Amino acid sequence: MKKFSKALSVGVAAVLVSSTLAACGGDKEKTGNSSKGTESEKTTVASTDKVTEKKTEKPTESQSEAMGQLTTINVYSRDEASGTRGAFEELIDFKGQLLDTAAIVESNGDMATKVGQDTGAIGYVSLTTDFEKNNLKPISYEGVVPSAADVINGSYTLKRPFSYVTRAKGDFPSEEVEQLVDAFIDFINNSTEGLEAVHMEGGIVDVDAGKPWAELKANHPIVDQDNSAIQIRTAGSTSVIKTLDAAINAFKPLAGNVDFVSDHNGSGDGFKRTLGEEKDGANGADIGFASREFKDDETVSQGAYTGQYAQDAVVVVVQKDNKIENLTKQQVFDIFTGAVTDWSDLK
Amino acid sequence: MPEQEKNFNVRDKIDMSRIKRRERTDKIFKTIFLIAGILSALMIILIFIFVGGKGIKPFLPGYEFGQQNLGKFLTGMTWRSDQNPPVYGAAFIVVNTLISAFLASVVSFPISVLTALFIVKIAPKKLRGFFTTVVELLAAIPSVVYGVFAAGKITKMVNSMAQHFGLTTHGGLSQLTVSILLAIMIFPTITSMAINAIAAVDKNLELGSLALGASKTQTNFKVVLSAAKSGIFAGLILGLGRAFGEATAVSMVAGNSMTGPTWNLFDITRTLTSTMLSGLKETSGLDYDIRFSVGIVLMIIVLITNFSIQLIKRSIGGVSHE
Repeated sequence: MKKFSKALSVGVAAVLVSSTLAACGGDKEKTGNSSKGTESEKTTVASTDKVTEKKTEKPTESQSEAMGQLTTINVYSRDEASGTRGAFEELIDFKGQLLDTAAIVESNGDMATKVGQDTGAIGYVSLTTDFEKNNLKPISYEGVVPSAADVINGSYTLKRPFSYVTRAKGDFPSEEVEQLVDAFIDFINNSTEGLEAVHMEGGIVDVDAGKPWAELKANHPIVDQDNSAIQIRTAGSTSVIKTLDAAINAFKPLAGNVDFVSDHNGSGDGFKRTLGEEKDGANGADIGFASREFKDDETVSQGAYTGQYAQDAVVVVVQKDNKIENLTKQQVFDIFTGAVTDWSDLK
Repeated sequence: MPEQEKNFNVRDKIDMSRIKRRERTDKIFKTIFLIAGILSALMIILIFIFVGGKGIKPFLPGYEFGQQNLGKFLTGMTWRSDQNPPVYGAAFIVVNTLISAFLASVVSFPISVLTALFIVKIAPKKLRGFFTTVVELLAAIPSVVYGVFAAGKITKMVNSMAQHFGLTTHGGLSQLTVSILLAIMIFPTITSMAINAIAAVDKNLELGSLALGASKTQTNFKVVLSAAKSGIFAGLILGLGRAFGEATAVSMVAGNSMTGPTWNLFDITRTLTSTMLSGLKETSGLDYDIRFSVGIVLMIIVLITNFSIQLIKRSIGGVSHE
């Protein structure tokens, strides 16, 4: 009995201590942040009149709260394996410099949900995201509102191309492969079926410009044979896989079930394995892909075909109530690297 | 007639072949049970060997993606695979994981034990059935459902709570949200174990206490609970195990901070499990293998926790019915 009551008192003491500790921690947090709070209040005072115009219907208290929330920028990013993150970091040019306090979300949908719930949030999603439904506001980049049309005509620049290049004329494993690659390039660039498949997987293409394959295939008599013994090898960017697979799956039954082997490890391989030093090795490929423009030292003009079959756009998003409308590349860079941490500093 | 009965010899009635057959069936079943036991034991060994082997590999010389420094891994306070070379420091993740699991059990353990005590000893029969069903239902809810609930509801709650203190959160993604979520998730685990433990306490112990003049409450707290401590602590171990191991739901509300440890409850956090899970399906190479190393750390932490709870258990309580 004695032993137990002793233990009990120890337990009670432990609980008391932990609760006081927790309380202290809470107090500390409060005091620690009180200075911050006044600071942010000061900054908000400056821009209060702007806000009162739009928020007059709200009581003053919640207004100041909303403002307090708005002042700190909460940066959201995707995990390192994400293709969208890769594209975004490449385009804004801050690879490895993402600020430490950024929250990491799981997927494009997760990003949309979380940014939509956080008034101070900024994140980035693919153009296919449903902004309205997720309570998001797409931000104009360098003055251009993101839209598929503006991506295609080139005025929205937070985008990257899905580029391809093939082996040089006459350098294919066989005549049939060359003809089938020719057919596939035509299919993915010009046929309604090919463009539709790429579009369904989020690639930005002008589907209306396509022609029916039935019309195009007249130029490619080889597709009417049984091609199941023939193999086309693709390599390069991993970001193109989704759209490319869709196109391949649409193409196969229309081209005598030709076989595709895809071994994608990164954009660098696109040129290297079709025209560069690895083209005749075990890793050689017939079509190479890059999720960027080919560089100057990648002499893709040697290839039989080169071009872009689709584009991929990234959209910077904030919560709907945020008043930011437009950001420049420098501003986006500053926010995501932590140089700017306060919404009021952006103006 | 009686003479016949007198000569009755039970040995004559024994059919040796039947016995043999039965013995054979016994033997067969014994082997089956043995195989089942070996299989499940093998599973544990296999998991340990596989996870251990894969997790240790990055720290061995000659690792294909560049040997990692074990010391840096165990003491580092930054986890960024986007750096070149990538920085993998798990120390702050361990601290964050411990904080969230500890907070969760501080909240959940007393409530669970009191609930169990109420259900078994105090509640009227009808209520007892009802509450038991509720606890069982809670235990049966899949973790992803808790995760959705936390991401949709608890985050909002935490966010408005933070605003009261004049703090901002990442839309409610925070250490506190994780702790609350885990507290809710481990509550049914601890409670149902505690219910079983309390219900198994010898009625005579209780009657003895009452007969000695102790009140009902005194008996419940001083006799019943301490007699049931073994089971209750088993529940705590299971609960903590769930808190440490919960990945899906936690990842949905943790926010995955890249540095730490997180002392501010309203700041985003990163747990061992969320680290293992985030981006797992899209990654490869070192970033993939290092998740196994995190898995080893997690297993070690669970083992240490279990061991220390056993120690605590031994030092608490006076009544024993074992």
